[in-house]
Amino acid sequence: MILDAHDIPSGTCLQADLCIAGAGAAGITLALALEASGLDVILLESGGDAPEPAVQQLYAGTVADTRLHPPADSYRVRRFGGSTTLWGGRCMPLDAIDFETRDYMPHSGWPIGLNDLMPWYGQANALCEAGEFAYTAEQAFPRPSHPSPPMIGNFDSDVFSTNTLERFSCPTDFGARYRHRLARGRVRVIQHANLCHLPMQEGAARLVGPADVRTIDGNTFTVAARAYVLATGGLEVPRLLLSSPGVSGRGLGNAHDVVGRYYMSHLAGTIGTVDLSKATSVWHGYDVSDEGIYCRRRLALRAQAQHALRVGNFIARLHHPRIPDAGHGNGILSALYLARPIVPYEYAKRLYGDAPGGVGNWLAHARNVITDVPNTVRFLTHWLSHRTLAARKFPSVIVRPANLRFSLDFHAEQVPNADSRVTLGNETDALGMRRIHIDWRYTPQDVDTVTRALAALAQEIERTGVGHFSYDPAEVEAEMTRYGAYGGHHIGTARMGDDPLSSVVNAESRLHEADNVFIAGAAVFPTSGQANPTLSIVALALRLADHLTTQANVSALPLPAPSTGSIASTASTSSLPSTAN
Amino acid sequence: MKVRILVTGATGFIGRHVVKTLAATDWAEPIAASRRADAGLRVVDALDASSLGAALADADGLVNCVAGSPETIVANARALRAAIDARSTPVPVVYFSSMAVYGTAEGHVDETAALAGASPYGMAKVEAEQALAGLPTVSLLRPGCVYGGGSPQWSARIAELLRAGRLGDLGAAGDAHSNLVHVNDVVAAALSALRGPDAGGRAYNLAMANAPRWNEYFIAYAMALGATPVKRIGGRQLKIETKLVAPALKIAEIAGRKIGLKGLPPPLPPSLARLWQQDICLDASLAEKTFDLTWTPWREAVQAEAARS
Repeated sequence: MILDAHDIPSGTCLQADLCIAGAGAAGITLALALEASGLDVILLESGGDAPEPAVQQLYAGTVADTRLHPPADSYRVRRFGGSTTLWGGRCMPLDAIDFETRDYMPHSGWPIGLNDLMPWYGQANALCEAGEFAYTAEQAFPRPSHPSPPMIGNFDSDVFSTNTLERFSCPTDFGARYRHRLARGRVRVIQHANLCHLPMQEGAARLVGPADVRTIDGNTFTVAARAYVLATGGLEVPRLLLSSPGVSGRGLGNAHDVVGRYYMSHLAGTIGTVDLSKATSVWHGYDVSDEGIYCRRRLALRAQAQHALRVGNFIARLHHPRIPDAGHGNGILSALYLARPIVPYEYAKRLYGDAPGGVGNWLAHARNVITDVPNTVRFLTHWLSHRTLAARKFPSVIVRPANLRFSLDFHAEQVPNADSRVTLGNETDALGMRRIHIDWRYTPQDVDTVTRALAALAQEIERTGVGHFSYDPAEVEAEMTRYGAYGGHHIGTARMGDDPLSSVVNAESRLHEADNVFIAGAAVFPTSGQANPTLSIVALALRLADHLTTQANVSALPLPAPSTGSIASTASTSSLPSTAN
Repeated sequence: MKVRILVTGATGFIGRHVVKTLAATDWAEPIAASRRADAGLRVVDALDASSLGAALADADGLVNCVAGSPETIVANARALRAAIDARSTPVPVVYFSSMAVYGTAEGHVDETAALAGASPYGMAKVEAEQALAGLPTVSLLRPGCVYGGGSPQWSARIAELLRAGRLGDLGAAGDAHSNLVHVNDVVAAALSALRGPDAGGRAYNLAMANAPRWNEYFIAYAMALGATPVKRIGGRQLKIETKLVAPALKIAEIAGRKIGLKGLPPPLPPSLARLWQQDICLDASLAEKTFDLTWTPWREAVQAEAARS
């Protein structure tokens, strides 16, 4: 059922077996997976069904270097469905190497392996509406009559593969897609409810509760649950943990000063010119699988090559020429340039960059559109029918340059770095919570990963005789930081590990220092891999749901006594009605 | 000696399967009955108590598969009641009701749930069940959506819609449990009810355990049919289908009937779209246990169904 926090009398203490904070990809997945578990679950969501500026404003914070990181309230959405209301839908699993302890990658190594996540990826893929869990061209396109054409004809390399796929979700808004299922289910979804503090249980050193919950207009109540899951995203998880003192007084789970550290995103950028005019064939567009899913090949640095080069995980895609430069003479790209005022900020940034302005440039683009009219019209018609009006959206702009000279889009792993971190700032939000301060950093090793991977790619393109990749190695650092940290990938801020000195949660996503607090989301990833995180967030949430209903034995944990603190001084214990059946 | 089982509505989809399966057993022989006279058919007016009673006098059991309008359904059940009441010796009877008796209920539904038919069809089935209530030899079967074996509603029609690209992955609009049940499992339940001494006097839900959600069914079926790539049907397209295309096709069908036009594409009425969103989950564990049923695996059945068309 879906309830509203405004209808809950101030001072109430709600009881549940499990309280989940955050109804995004992770929280909604948990709620769906626990529906038939027999556990009494409350899912708290700060927002409602529609965007609310005042709620979104709770995400605002400060950024140490605004050139390196987008504003704290961008690329994430505080409403029912979370950031799946904004995402682009790109799905892919982590690779086996991502879980390994690599001697050249400091702080690498997960306490679990790909095999621990594999049982959940299929279901995760289904929840993301990305079809079958088939991430190679051979698996996804098994019929010879419906093949996925090779990306670059005759490009046969031990260093880069071209047969792994990214598959695209609709992109599915988890809120809209699963609302009806949650609305008639047993889980109590409470909208407009902000989990603010997680105090320690009275007289218990390793148990937390009841949680303080507030609405933006001052309603306060508590949730006394046997266990809590924070599924609020990689920036809000450290904010919440640090906002409660925990036993150490340094923040919940933060006895060893790890919470908020090792903050990673991905290293991404567009660089150089890949001239493939000598290749026997080039295919850089989308293939549609039998289930109707858009799939796309990419160049992926093979695991043994990562080891040999001593670099992080790395993938690259063939990309259209730079949009702002009217010199490309392409009507489609110029039409996109002219459409700039209507493209949302989160997408415009990478499409346009620091585009030259001015009437002259505008006219040059207008001229491209007019002289290339048949192409432009064909493109816009396709865009209208397959994206604007389609329920399953064509994922991105694909323009095939007539001369087969592409730019190269890359996406790479960042090395975990304790100095790249999220802390509490000095300002407070409308709930009285301290806002976050983001100090995202990259290291010379990150520049090395991209530099060496690009050099290896250039060498392989040359060696195989398919063409030529020209770029300025001196520009690598500038290009990979041109737009700063890749928007929306908030990773590592409550990392998973076996050692409490260097990690926040254990292999089961439970805080090392508390027995009843779990973290869901990319905050627990100790390393970032090359993959966009959503699919693995969903898979980890399914694994956590399974753990909560089996080994964790949540129903055996004690129910916290109703709080007698200031927030709930008039507290009365009551439960909201549960559905019959 | 084989027992003689009267099957009314024997020319209908379920009736045909019941007759065929009975004929293949070593313990029963079917008396296929229909209101139409044809080779191998006994003419019985299943809406008339005396006609039905006369046919029942020659039989050791009855499977009532009569379908039709709400009026037909109620008249058939009343005639059946009168015929059974008039008979001096008890006779096992299987009556096909429907999950429609639960109306718009959602969630987990077993046989104790309230009967609240919401459609004219559902209300007629409720009335029919009431007419047959209290008869200790009558088993009331309440199937969900019967597919397989060339099911016109849940196999053939769906296949046609999938092939035409008018149906596919519906997203939230196809999220409900399907309550599919294979026709072979339905027939197995009916035959078992005839033979089980204690089966009568009760109602049984019939839907496979762990039935897929509608989207899963549509996607798997489309892939088996080669109707690929599977279409994603958005809310706008579904609205056009149910609000504009369906009424137009209905009018064309009525007009076409007068001039002998056949083979029109199937409409996708709003009631169907509503069903695909109605998350009712029939609990058929009573039937599973009483009739010792093993549910036909649906993915394999879908492959078989695609191969036959």
